[in-house]
Amino acid sequence: MLKGKGVSIGISFGKVVVLKNQKREIEKKNVDNPEQELEKFKQAFNAVINETEDIIKDLNGTELDIMQAYLMIMQDPSLISETENLIKNLNYNAEYAVEEGFNSVIQIFETMEDQYMAARSRDIADIKNRILAKLFNEETVNISKLHPDTIIVATELTTSDTAKLDFKNVSGIITEIGGTNSHTSIMARTHLIPAITKVEEATKILKNGDYIAIDGSLGEIYLNPTEEEKEKLLKLKEQILHEQEELEKYKGTETKTKDGYKVELVANIGTPSDVEIVQKNTAEGIGLLRSEFLYMDSENMPSEEEQFNSYKEVAEKMQGKQVIIRTLDIGGDKELKYLKLEKEANPFLGYRAIRLCLDNLNIFKTQLRALLKASNYGNIAIMFPMISSIEELRDAKKILEECKKELDNENIPYKKDIKVGIMIEIPSAALVAQGLAQECDFFSIGTNDLIQYTVAVERGNEKISKLYTKYHPAVIKLVKESIEGAHDAGIFCGMCGEAASDELYIPLLIGLGLDEFSMNANNILKSRKIISNLEKDECIELAKEVLRLTSAEDVEKVLKDFVERK
Amino acid sequence: MKTEKVILKNETGLHARPASELTKLSAKFKCDIKIKAGEKEINPKSILSIMSAGLTANTELEIICDGEDEETAITELVQAFNNKFGE
Repeated sequence: MLKGKGVSIGISFGKVVVLKNQKREIEKKNVDNPEQELEKFKQAFNAVINETEDIIKDLNGTELDIMQAYLMIMQDPSLISETENLIKNLNYNAEYAVEEGFNSVIQIFETMEDQYMAARSRDIADIKNRILAKLFNEETVNISKLHPDTIIVATELTTSDTAKLDFKNVSGIITEIGGTNSHTSIMARTHLIPAITKVEEATKILKNGDYIAIDGSLGEIYLNPTEEEKEKLLKLKEQILHEQEELEKYKGTETKTKDGYKVELVANIGTPSDVEIVQKNTAEGIGLLRSEFLYMDSENMPSEEEQFNSYKEVAEKMQGKQVIIRTLDIGGDKELKYLKLEKEANPFLGYRAIRLCLDNLNIFKTQLRALLKASNYGNIAIMFPMISSIEELRDAKKILEECKKELDNENIPYKKDIKVGIMIEIPSAALVAQGLAQECDFFSIGTNDLIQYTVAVERGNEKISKLYTKYHPAVIKLVKESIEGAHDAGIFCGMCGEAASDELYIPLLIGLGLDEFSMNANNILKSRKIISNLEKDECIELAKEVLRLTSAEDVEKVLKDFVERK
Repeated sequence: MKTEKVILKNETGLHARPASELTKLSAKFKCDIKIKAGEKEINPKSILSIMSAGLTANTELEIICDGEDEETAITELVQAFNNKFGE
């Protein structure tokens, strides 16, 4: 049995498809029959064109535009003229001619100063790779069209891989690299696909066509499972299904404790297409729309129009329910191809999020204008990330006011009293929460970063991951300060980190008075169930007890005991 | 032979979408088409030729059409440039 880290729960059975980068040895040879060699090249090339035409059929929007240009490059005779020349006139073998011929085109693009054009060299390199794969008779996997019950095994899935992936037919994902919060893990949970990461040498041990079973909670992989194992896993699978059915009861019901104390249960999403899952799970709104998708998936800075259309789409689909959109949160670990940022010694303490936006007003204003324009089509609220001081909030609001004035002058409608809030994810912000609350409309506590900055432990650093804990009394004190600061000023306080959907943490948060819980849509029903079994008073008592503790271990124990007693 | 001068108005130059629009449009015509940008000479029927020229916004271009449908070709091309290829 292979083992890794389970990052998306569920049991599934299926056949392995391994995605890996093949290393090829390209020999330079002279051939006797160039006509035949040319034919060989043409066949491979045409097969690649046909595949691309196939993919295009199912695309729309920006993806379609990009792929159409990609197809046109392929249909351009000058793309292959050098390759043909190398075969016809110099009698080279097809493989070598493709390598050399395409490289000459790639070079032209690589040397261009324009970032976008330089990126086209990657498209051409991709075309070259696909032709070579055909010439070498390599089995290439078209991940946008898979057989039912496929379990994907890869070193790592890139963002573009997951964008193309045929999720309908994927029953599991196994990767060698990644973590709970990597893009692939989040996508897997969104699509309810069991996933396991950190499986060493998975792409070597598992082979195409292997029949395996995976347990996404425990991170276990069974190669050719025995009848006994199958039976055990099927039972588990049924149990999970049963639990999911149990949760169906909580669809569309109000979120309140046993004694009638109501809270808001809303969703975190990454793209407009996630709205479907939000609605399926009957979330009461969107507590965090990460606007990065617009920037990360794009080859250049997204225009006001593009952004407006996306925000409007979400606002309209949510039909008047609140949609909190966070302004651009890049820098640190998230980079953009077209925005060159200097490498920093401490990126998490560096030039990122609101700091970057306040320094690049073009980018910031484009987004704010798009948000304001979209606010006319639904209930949009704007949230600034990484606020560490009241000055930053004031500066950001000043820019927002400028944008409002511009729209007024252009006679473009927007919601005049659009709500503006901030992320509380830096200890300094939590400590001056009272002041900040006087000048904004809501808070959302981002626990993932708040923990990192409070205990000085980088989220992704495995060596010190034990020190990264939401149970640290200091973290809890900051959460308390934030909620109290908000309530003193009469505004609401939410939370959009992992902790908001944690079974142990929810009772504590209810006790501390948190108003809004924002989470991955798949956790909505479970959290609603947990909350409906709590009583406000007992949670307040629990919070009081926890606030007296001085060690994270004790906090965790007290919270565990509380849940077990229930 | 017909020639006409235009200014490239697309803010991001001739990127994927406008470049493919230009190629599609040029391919409709039978006449020979050339676009001159300073020293560079571009064949607008080839998307690679357009892209590798790396044209940026506000470049002055000279469109040259030569052949039986040169009249329609030049009119439609000038119009497309002025419309920023629908962007």
